Amino acid sequence: MIPHYDVVVVGGGPNGMGIACYLAKCGLSVCVCEDRLELGGGVENAEPLPGFRIDPHATYFYGAAGPPVTQLELAKFGFRLNYYRDLMGAVNSRGEAVSLSLYDAERSAKYLERYSKRDADAWRLYAGMPRDSMVRLLRSIYWTPPPPVGMEIPREDLPWVKVLRENLPLFDMSWLDLSLFEILDLLVENETLKAGMGMSAWYNGPHPDWAGTGIFGLTCNLLHGISSGSPAGGMHTLAHALARACMHHGVRFLTNCKVEEIIVEEGAATGVRLSDDAPVGFRTIRADRAVISGVHVKSTFQKLVAARHLPLDFLERVRGISLKGSSLFTLALITTEGPKWTGDAAEIYGETYPTCIFMPCDSVEMVRNQTRDVDSLNTHPVRPESMMVPVCQHDRCDPTRCPPGYHVLSPIYLQVPPPEDHAGGPRAVNEAKEEIIEAILRAIRTVAPNLTDDKIVAKFVNTPHDSSLRNLGFVGGGWYGSRQADDEWYDKRPLPELSRYRTPIERLYLCNQTSYPGGLALFAVPYNLMHILIPDLKLAPGEWWQPSPDFIPEEV
Amino acid sequence: MRSFNISMENPLVPPPEPEVTVDVVVIGGGPNGLIAAAYLARAGLKVVLLERRQEMGGGLATEEILYPGVYANTHAVYHMMVDYMPAIRDFDLSRHALTFIKPNLQTAIHFSDGGSMILCQNLQDTADQIAKYSGPDAKTFTHKIRLYRRFVDEILAPATYYPPAPPVEFAVNLGRTELGRELMEISELSPREVIEKTFGNEKVRALMLYVSCMWGLDPDVTGLGFMVPLLIWRNMNKCLCVGGSHKFASALGKEILGSGGRIFEISEVTNILTENGRARGVETYDGRRFLAKAVLSSLPPQKTFLDLVGKDSCPRELAKAAEGWKWDKWSLFTLHLALKEPPRYRAADRNAGAAFMSLLGLESQNDVMAVVDAALEKRLPIAAGHATTESAHDKTLSRVHGLSTAFFQVMAPYDIEGGWEKRKGEAERALLDGWRRYADNLTDENIVMKTSESPLDIERRNPAMVNGSIKHGDYSSLQMGFFRPNDLCSQSGTPIEGLYLCGASMYPGGLILGGPGYIAANAVAQDLGVKPWWTTPEAIKSYVRTYL
Repeated sequence: MIPHYDVVVVGGGPNGMGIACYLAKCGLSVCVCEDRLELGGGVENAEPLPGFRIDPHATYFYGAAGPPVTQLELAKFGFRLNYYRDLMGAVNSRGEAVSLSLYDAERSAKYLERYSKRDADAWRLYAGMPRDSMVRLLRSIYWTPPPPVGMEIPREDLPWVKVLRENLPLFDMSWLDLSLFEILDLLVENETLKAGMGMSAWYNGPHPDWAGTGIFGLTCNLLHGISSGSPAGGMHTLAHALARACMHHGVRFLTNCKVEEIIVEEGAATGVRLSDDAPVGFRTIRADRAVISGVHVKSTFQKLVAARHLPLDFLERVRGISLKGSSLFTLALITTEGPKWTGDAAEIYGETYPTCIFMPCDSVEMVRNQTRDVDSLNTHPVRPESMMVPVCQHDRCDPTRCPPGYHVLSPIYLQVPPPEDHAGGPRAVNEAKEEIIEAILRAIRTVAPNLTDDKIVAKFVNTPHDSSLRNLGFVGGGWYGSRQADDEWYDKRPLPELSRYRTPIERLYLCNQTSYPGGLALFAVPYNLMHILIPDLKLAPGEWWQPSPDFIPEEV
Repeated sequence: MRSFNISMENPLVPPPEPEVTVDVVVIGGGPNGLIAAAYLARAGLKVVLLERRQEMGGGLATEEILYPGVYANTHAVYHMMVDYMPAIRDFDLSRHALTFIKPNLQTAIHFSDGGSMILCQNLQDTADQIAKYSGPDAKTFTHKIRLYRRFVDEILAPATYYPPAPPVEFAVNLGRTELGRELMEISELSPREVIEKTFGNEKVRALMLYVSCMWGLDPDVTGLGFMVPLLIWRNMNKCLCVGGSHKFASALGKEILGSGGRIFEISEVTNILTENGRARGVETYDGRRFLAKAVLSSLPPQKTFLDLVGKDSCPRELAKAAEGWKWDKWSLFTLHLALKEPPRYRAADRNAGAAFMSLLGLESQNDVMAVVDAALEKRLPIAAGHATTESAHDKTLSRVHGLSTAFFQVMAPYDIEGGWEKRKGEAERALLDGWRRYADNLTDENIVMKTSESPLDIERRNPAMVNGSIKHGDYSSLQMGFFRPNDLCSQSGTPIEGLYLCGASMYPGGLILGGPGYIAANAVAQDLGVKPWWTTPEAIKSYVRTYL
């Protein structure tokens, strides 16, 4: 007997589960097929040493400011989010340090005042934006679908431009063409601050030198500052809460059930075919109303949909989507001591601890060196002049991460090229693990010299290559699916004709970080997709559904 | 608890409810807690299950310990009671893509001369294997195993899912049948005496004694001889959970959630609230309260009564019994490997290498005794124990194309001289050397990743397994049957009204039997006046009619 559902979702990551939950809440029967033995995709934790929990992939939930957290009632199902008062830190090798906070703007400004009065004043202005406006701004950027395919919108009518003009006195329309570093040059002068903010932007998506993406580099900090946090107990608790919300509404989950093919009949998706070793008594699942792909756009069209159903030029454009810019080497250190800083850093990070600290954060040039290594030379950075890494230490806010007497410095990230692009071949980073660890440790020790080998109990590494094996959704081991550069962003993400989550195959929709607005477990993709599915599937959600005020429907 | 002043709960995410009132709260999300919660939730009761770890499942754990990319069952691998456990029949767990497989080639013992012997699911296959070493033993086996199977089918398995009777009464009742009398006779012996009385060949004895004692049964302890038929028979019928043992836990979890129950992880219970000698609910480490008519604890007696209820709130007799609880005599040390090619065993019979479980380093009964002695004397473990190539039976465990995963597990003391943090590497090397004597392709070149887990690690992952006690407490005649964990609590209910036990420290014990959870669910349903939606299996009814 072939099981039937209204909707079949391929992939049980945060986006796949997110849309499953929304649709089940609308009364549809939904089945989610997951290849792995556990749900959650990149929203995962590992305990390679019993009692010590590390983050192989995602480490922060950035979606607190969006509607899905309340619409899907995640708190009711056990989701709890700790947040750090300080969104980001940066320390240079002289021990000079910044720690930025939107909750405690004055304290941050005081820190900045040690090096520049001008910077402190700029932070007061930026952080002084009303909290509601910050939420409104973030929602207008992330939790709003791009405009209908082909619709040209004058830039002054772009939703976030309107919010910025109303709420941020510093804002100028000319910023829309600038890079983050160019905007920062207008506002601040301290090198560590600029380099830290720039690096932070790059690790979250847009590079600080890319013209036209400066605004998104800035709003990354807003996401970090008010919308993010570390789920109590670890990132995977988010997956649990979401899975539970799904099950509460009747979603059926099939784990270890890999989808081999999205079945297409007469141009429309009608179901999925499972792999031969799926531990269930059937191999086909019918989808009466829609199939939703929660995996990478490349996996969707290069593996799951047979090529005969797709135009050749479309397939070529899918092939051309750049994977650069989101492949991270992730190091976790189990230590018997936390980092001990010198100079101002000792004082500042004694009082507070930001979500992560960039170290050593000496110059803007270091950011450019690292970028050049990764994006231009297609190699992994190891030279001291390009080694600046963000270090997170969750045991500072979460006692369940490790036994007393130990610390978990996890994750420590380093940008590397995707395996597909690496000059040394796909396994080059895996083969250079030891060399890269040494380079990272050298960099960290320039600001925290106490972290000597005898303080390190264990080291665990996850490379982009490892991520792509573990999680078929991560082609290239990428974290945001594809570049957040102008040409793969907003109404062009992942391709212009796919930007409203519809595809050339009728009843097949995309719901993965490769769609707008990308990764970071925002639940923005499923929320945005709902705007499209409500008319397409004639859904009637209850009072709980609040669409984006900036949504532009198709003209009838 | 350390204090954290640098963070708070995000104001955009609603805070958790500070107080929740339900019918039933279950402490601990191991197999028994899950089973109890699933039965009661489907019975219409409001159920909350609280788990300390991030992942519920307890011993049903499948985790990425061969980091990155390769998973292993970190605790339970061999499911011995799948054929009997009511929970597997009462719930339609296959809806959640849950499948158990049971290989015919079950337990192979490998000898250093390339010889081997296999316990197969198929009795005659097994007899053929034993006949390689001893004709008389093979003949004995074919007769005895039929008796053993009846012991299990008619008495021991049904008894696993029904509250125990006081020993004198039970003995009288067993005396009613020939089968019962034979079981009583064997029960009085020690495992070693049972084996020596039954089998003559050293190699056969090594195999039979090891499978009887591998989970912590002392070969010389008397009064528990009935465990020998049970463990030999079940070692011919082990199942593997496809997709990892954790999948069993998550399928049960889905049943709880599907019935409207709630599961909260990262919710360590620090306090069982009592009022006038009655349990009212629990409190978690962060001050949340869960009030309930029934509180079920799957934790061992010290934790439940002394730590959570508090000695002062316990009747004196109960506190005394909890204080006297004895942990397992020894624990386990496990070496896990991720390999380019799976272990290639030297055994001439290729079937031995393909068996579900391979026993290594055990040539005679004395070798089994030496392993036990090393554990009892707190020495470094001897490289003699059982190995399984997990990926050969469940390829979903490796996410890295072509990599295999295998482990070698041996008995080990908890409080080893010098401490496990220092001696882990030493034990790891000893195990690897021992393993290589039977599978010479386990070269450094072949090993891609390696990790090991000591008794200390077991306790760190599962603090209910104090001293690495995988069964939550020793199997001795003073802590078994009607006396597990003590004569006041072996029926699940306790002297504290509204407080029930449902874990491995309760009758009938650990090893993923599912007995304590099932018995607790029945007890709570009865006390709360809820009509069970499930029916008692025929085998249990017949056992009750005959022996209780």
